[in-house]
Amino acid sequence: MRILWFVLSPLMALAVGLFFLGLSRRFMARIQWRVGPPLYQPLIDILRQFTQKSVSHGPLFDLGVVLSLASSFIVVLFMPLGGTAPLSSSGGFLVVLYLMLLGPLGIALSGGEAANPNVSIGISRKLILALGYEVPFLMIVLALMTYYGTISIGEIVAAQRESASAIASFPLVFSGIAYLLILPAMLGVRPFEVVGAAQEISSGPAAEYGGPYLALATIQHGLTMFIGISLFVNLLWGGASNPVVFFLKMLVVFAFGFWVNAAFPRLRVEQAVRYLWRWPTLIAFVGLILVATIGR
Amino acid sequence: MDRNQLMKWIKAPTKMAHKYSLNAVYFCTGCGVIEVPPTITSRWDAERFGVVPTATARQANLFLITGYVSVKTLRAIIRTYEQMPEPKYTVGFGSCTINGGMYWDSYNTINQLDKYIPIDGYIAGCMPRPEAIFVAVTHLWTLIDKDMADGYKRYRKNYAAYRANQEMILGEMEWPPIFQTEVATAITEREG
Repeated sequence: MRILWFVLSPLMALAVGLFFLGLSRRFMARIQWRVGPPLYQPLIDILRQFTQKSVSHGPLFDLGVVLSLASSFIVVLFMPLGGTAPLSSSGGFLVVLYLMLLGPLGIALSGGEAANPNVSIGISRKLILALGYEVPFLMIVLALMTYYGTISIGEIVAAQRESASAIASFPLVFSGIAYLLILPAMLGVRPFEVVGAAQEISSGPAAEYGGPYLALATIQHGLTMFIGISLFVNLLWGGASNPVVFFLKMLVVFAFGFWVNAAFPRLRVEQAVRYLWRWPTLIAFVGLILVATIGR
Repeated sequence: MDRNQLMKWIKAPTKMAHKYSLNAVYFCTGCGVIEVPPTITSRWDAERFGVVPTATARQANLFLITGYVSVKTLRAIIRTYEQMPEPKYTVGFGSCTINGGMYWDSYNTINQLDKYIPIDGYIAGCMPRPEAIFVAVTHLWTLIDKDMADGYKRYRKNYAAYRANQEMILGEMEWPPIFQTEVATAITEREG
């Protein structure tokens, strides 16, 4: 059974991630009163990109994309997707926290090889934005670990299944609200679309990607979206007992994220960091203090 | 539109993918820029046919040049075209790209764009309406189906002639020839 999940969960992440990419374009189109592309448009794009010829800027340019994609797939293996995670050990949560950084790092290494100024600006923006949302995120993570007394995602999910989900229980509700406030930044959608801003810096780190590189980067983007949303569902919304319910919960969080994306314009980098270090950090800090003093 | 016909996807998947995923670089040189925003936003919504604007040449496979081309922009157009990954399609938009249009005797615009980069099709008019872009896209689909949208192959085959034309109007060019031909080798030898 566990062996089966090793194959199934990356496949599920891939399918759901691509579905989310298509759905996001359709969703935005409907909000803007357009018809929008078909749901399988990302598949057509990826097929087109894989059959185009492209230039490589060096060995690191090739390997960075692969590193980023591989790390995303490994993070998925640690995620209980409505069942047990294939790689569920006691310290899984800490490993996920480290591996989540490898995704942007791989893109940064690869893009840096291209020596395109737009790519460099995009990478520095990504690092600044990550600095912005990692502070409240680590406070949320600390609050959850202290409250449930464990560093395993599986055990946090199991503990929530016995009682209420974290976002509906008293001290952790602050962490939940803080997580919802930083979720658009973690997904990289507007108002925090500073990294891949197409009009400003020519889609940032992806500016030099063409052909197969762009296809891999697109898949990686879908997986990043999948990981961000599934982490929220697992940590704060109690996970799910089967993959279908898990998928439905992810859809709700996705709809929230892209509603924010459609409703707000893009912030500048320093505005984004000022926001992230003010309200989400404050709320997450209050949650952490309450958890530390009141406890369970 | 045969996007929903599964048999065609099984028979020729790459051709169908290139047809229905046209990521476009809109090279807005002149007045044609006005017609592009309504095409890609809510009024006409080109995205439902898979035609999406992209920010960089590397991600694109459709090159739409709107309006007159001055000598200075020609340099940028050639660089952009050469950066795009193959297969790539080029569409000239408006009379100015066909024969110079109302600028045919201007001192600093070129008249025939086809002499410098290969064009797969033109949209005539001054200005063409956004509907004309959709007509052009459906024509381009037909051309891709019949393997007639082969501008990028012509560019490889006749690169020496294209490069000679480019050098005639631009003078010394600051980047080396991208394909090795006899003329290209001669240029590299001349420049040492």
